[in-house]
Amino acid sequence: MEEKRITKENLIKLGSNWVNDGMNVYVNNGKKYTLMKLHEEDLKGFEEAPPLMSYKEIVFPKTEPILYYKKSQKEVEIIEPKIGGVKNIVIGAKPCDAKSISIMSKVFNWDYKDSFFNVRAEESVIIGMACKYNDEHCFCTSVGISPVSTDGSDLFLIPLANDNFGVRIISDKGKELISKYESYFTNGDSEESENVLSSIPIPEKKFNAENVKSWLDKNFESEFWNTTAEMCLGCSQCAFVCPVCHCFDIVDEDYSFTEGRRMKNWDACQNGLFTKHASGHNPRDKQPKRYRQRVSHKFKYYKDKFDEYLCTGCGRCSRGCPAGIDIGEIVERIDKLTN
Amino acid sequence: MENIYKPYLMEIAEIIPETKDTATFKLKFKDPEIASVFNFKAGQFAEYSVFGEGECTFCIASSPTRMEYIECSFKEAGKVTAALNRMNVGETIGFRGPYGNYFPVEEMKGSNVVFISGGIGLAPVRCVIDNVLDLRDEFKDITIIYGARSVQDLVYKNLLDEWQKRSDVKTIVTVDPGGETPDWKGEIGFVPTVVEKASLKAENTFAIICGPPIMIKYTMPVLLKLGFEESKIITTLENRMKCGFGKCGRCNIGNVYVCKDGPVFTYEQMKALPEEY
Repeated sequence: MEEKRITKENLIKLGSNWVNDGMNVYVNNGKKYTLMKLHEEDLKGFEEAPPLMSYKEIVFPKTEPILYYKKSQKEVEIIEPKIGGVKNIVIGAKPCDAKSISIMSKVFNWDYKDSFFNVRAEESVIIGMACKYNDEHCFCTSVGISPVSTDGSDLFLIPLANDNFGVRIISDKGKELISKYESYFTNGDSEESENVLSSIPIPEKKFNAENVKSWLDKNFESEFWNTTAEMCLGCSQCAFVCPVCHCFDIVDEDYSFTEGRRMKNWDACQNGLFTKHASGHNPRDKQPKRYRQRVSHKFKYYKDKFDEYLCTGCGRCSRGCPAGIDIGEIVERIDKLTN
Repeated sequence: MENIYKPYLMEIAEIIPETKDTATFKLKFKDPEIASVFNFKAGQFAEYSVFGEGECTFCIASSPTRMEYIECSFKEAGKVTAALNRMNVGETIGFRGPYGNYFPVEEMKGSNVVFISGGIGLAPVRCVIDNVLDLRDEFKDITIIYGARSVQDLVYKNLLDEWQKRSDVKTIVTVDPGGETPDWKGEIGFVPTVVEKASLKAENTFAIICGPPIMIKYTMPVLLKLGFEESKIITTLENRMKCGFGKCGRCNIGNVYVCKDGPVFTYEQMKALPEEY
């Protein structure tokens, strides 16, 4: 793997150059992913928790128009939204976030291809960074990711001593991004980077995901669900902070009597109205059924269909849950049931 | 950019009021080019939209053997169907589709077919009835059993008359006890009972059944008792949908997506599904 080296100062200059090239540059500032403010203190995230929100809205916005319409008494005209045309660079993506686009890409591309997602995914370049953070909610290693995995990154940063970074070139997209700016880099020292990477403790797996899936295969009906989610408020924060939750609603918004737009909005399976029929019947009428859907979608259905777990182990859903529900802990309990 | 969410525009060519809250629309594509290439199979569904109100999901009720109009029948139940119900002939709606799988009409050729439906459930069955009747010679005995709560709740009254007049189709129309009018000449009784008494032959017969969950629940055991094969009892499942093509994440029953793996399922397939519909 080709490796280069860059100083923090030059990395920030590089970011400014990309901004000047007309790209959107997002940076992990340790608290959130944000449009780069080009301050030195913005470039954090090695030792901090995953930012409150993932950056999935770059490819899957919270809310976006899928069409505009103009209408008169009898006629309707559809106006297509313009998307894309701007490259999105994320600097300092957590390894648990870097994989999100490739995971979601499966559902947005089986059979019908969602260009809203694809155009933006194609135009996104992910610069991942090794991660030294680990708390009781993290479990990336249980779902096949690790604090040093480059999966999903186009370039990968390894924080070195004296505000230097090792830069590993993972994909052609990454290579192309820096090709114009070779002068900011010096030759990399793979050994120094390896030393840093090997000093990062790799958290032990909290559960065996295959065991969890095989339990889910057989236990759609189980007492387990009744007790696990009884404190769930159905607020849906878990889905909104999740880097791979992708469920959405389609809603029309009139601006006036004659104009409006059709929106695709984030939605969530924990919301009671999510599956409610117009007749009033609701196949998932109680929170335990909705929680079963959440766990099963992540650890069984998506795996069955797309051979990926719909979870990166980032722990955001648990850190933010107002009722203190921890999916890692729940799935760990499922794993124990299989022993 | 290809926009999979962009609907075709359709003009409402005719509105047929069915009951006090149910109507049938005959729709024509605004773009003649799309009209000439558009195709679907009996049982597929679409997303219909009123601009400013939103989209809703129902089957294409007309048969692919009759492409002059696309028809849909709906019951006013929510925001969009209420808006549809206020529309007039000549107005424009959106239409995305066709989506989902379809009834195995090819496989059914050479067999007897029994159609069983209740209420607005006749809409998804009607597309197959018309399809089969348009290819009448390729099927053996055809029986249609249709029930509604009351005479006022019967839909497709003209079609029911038409089918009843045909000598090559046995048509039984029933209303629930108490739902009859003084001059009602059809059966009085619940659909499962009427099915039981209809002296149906189970051998080499497909049963197509759609209607309220309660009707399906009590008719299935009757069909099984009569000896129908589980793989030849076919129904449709309806879960709430938004996208119609397996992305928005709400219509799944376990790992089966009703919008892509369905909406048409055999009883054999249904039995294997978890209770989540």
